[in-house]
Amino acid sequence: MKPLALFLLLLASPVFAVDAPITGTVEPKCSVWVETNAVYGSPLPYKLSTLPNEGGVKSVIRIDVAQANYYKARFTWPNSFVSSPPLNDSVTFTGETVIGQVSDSNMSNYPKTTYNNVSEFSPLSIAGSTWFVTSSTASYGSTKALPSGTYVANIKAECIAL
Amino acid sequence: MRLICLLLALLALPVNAHEMTPAYPVLKPSISDKISYTKLKLYNRRQDINYYAISVHTGDWKPVPFATQQRIIKIKHNKSTFFEVYLRNSDIDRAVYICTESKTEKVTKQLTFISSRICSKIKQK
Repeated sequence: MKPLALFLLLLASPVFAVDAPITGTVEPKCSVWVETNAVYGSPLPYKLSTLPNEGGVKSVIRIDVAQANYYKARFTWPNSFVSSPPLNDSVTFTGETVIGQVSDSNMSNYPKTTYNNVSEFSPLSIAGSTWFVTSSTASYGSTKALPSGTYVANIKAECIAL
Repeated sequence: MRLICLLLALLALPVNAHEMTPAYPVLKPSISDKISYTKLKLYNRRQDINYYAISVHTGDWKPVPFATQQRIIKIKHNKSTFFEVYLRNSDIDRAVYICTESKTEKVTKQLTFISSRICSKIKQK
């Protein structure tokens, strides 16, 4: 009787056949990577600059697109300070964004449009990584010395679906 | 050996990225017949950022009224979150972009900071 019960018990044991599917989705995706934060140097009493030969550091932003022709990139360099000591004269801002490193040499030819303090690269027609380098300078009044204090400015990097 | 050094150096680099998917969200009917909604995923890999603001815009970047659980999402480094955006059906035709933008806390010691914004385009029917 006991062997029969054991036999029946074994028959009743569940048998699992487990599939372990691997799934993946490929979809248009954009990532904005902040690789280097810009730093202003002060080469002259009236000037702040992110240019390396003027003691500053340019910002480096990497944009990765998973598929081609789905996004454009837009960069805005500062035209005012987010915070600064009180200023009683005007500040003139200049800047530019250029393509730095590329994961595909053809990325260097992305069409670029510049207006006001904005550079737009559209479309990002090759999948991969592009490094964009943004610089900014600020000159105070007619060569007046900038008041001492901390000056904060904002660079904006955008990835916009087309 | 060189390869190991390179790999270790790459691993040591800080990762600072902002991601949002899908690129083309589709609006679905909600429980109210006058409201549609869509769901997006935000991924914060920016170490310096904990907050992202949601916004909805027309094709010429004018704001469109919308509702969501929180307009400013707190999200920790290396975490992702889903969020829903609700739009009135009367606004669907003019709503084009749903964006998330990084927000820096007011107390910052950096002399410059970089804000990132990613905009998805609403898939029109």
